[in-house]
Amino acid sequence: MQLREFFTEDVIKLDLQGASKDEILKELISLLKLPEKSEGILFKMLKRRENLGSTGIGRGIAIPHCRSLVVNHLRVAFGRRSDAIDFKAIDDKPVSFFFLIVAPPLEVSNQYLPVLGKIAQLCREPDVPEKLAQIRTPDQFLELLDQKQV
Amino acid sequence: MHPQLEILLELQDLKAQQRELAEATADTSHEIERKVFRVKPEDAAAQLQSKIEEMESVLAPDVADRYRIISRRRNRAVAPVLNGICYGCFMTVPTGVPPSNDEIRWCEHCGSFLYFVD
Repeated sequence: MQLREFFTEDVIKLDLQGASKDEILKELISLLKLPEKSEGILFKMLKRRENLGSTGIGRGIAIPHCRSLVVNHLRVAFGRRSDAIDFKAIDDKPVSFFFLIVAPPLEVSNQYLPVLGKIAQLCREPDVPEKLAQIRTPDQFLELLDQKQV
Repeated sequence: MHPQLEILLELQDLKAQQRELAEATADTSHEIERKVFRVKPEDAAAQLQSKIEEMESVLAPDVADRYRIISRRRNRAVAPVLNGICYGCFMTVPTGVPPSNDEIRWCEHCGSFLYFVD
């Protein structure tokens, strides 16, 4: 299993506009194209997860994640904001890169935790923040995932 | 969506999160949350429990009764319905049951509350 398998161009947004943590979460959720009510429930769950501790893991990267019944299979999205925003990250630095992961509680394929682990592994690579900043198109993001072979 | 079903869904999601945090073995949510996100799993589980209790207290009495009964029998009180199948018991939901989340419905086989995903 490789991360590239889970991303498509339509869940990648390189010009996030949200000016706050909540707005960024909503913008990321909108990439999943869920019904409005489901978006609201998912937003609440992501906020609850953030309340347990920020998913900002440092180096300008955050990985908002949760399980929710509003999705019927693992869903991911990636967003980038040109000006980093405060996300209460563990290194107190502002965040520009956001990986969203959502999976249903009942997940036969059991991919949620491995995908979460792989994204964390990708984000630990020293050159990844710089490469994410240089990307110009969603296709280049997918190419980066291919190159990294995570 | 029926407001009580919305609460049930949130309760289910919170409980799923709490269960995962309790599994303290390698490559589990417990370990990922602790190592990657520096969350203290025990504190997080306690925080989730408090929220779960708060939300359970606002369930309507009839819904709360069924929720308690089902929760005693199985981990999940709400079962998703996909392609007409209740994922609580994997039995077919009768075609006469409209696939809508605007009302509270339950599976006639396993008793789980039903959430129509599609």
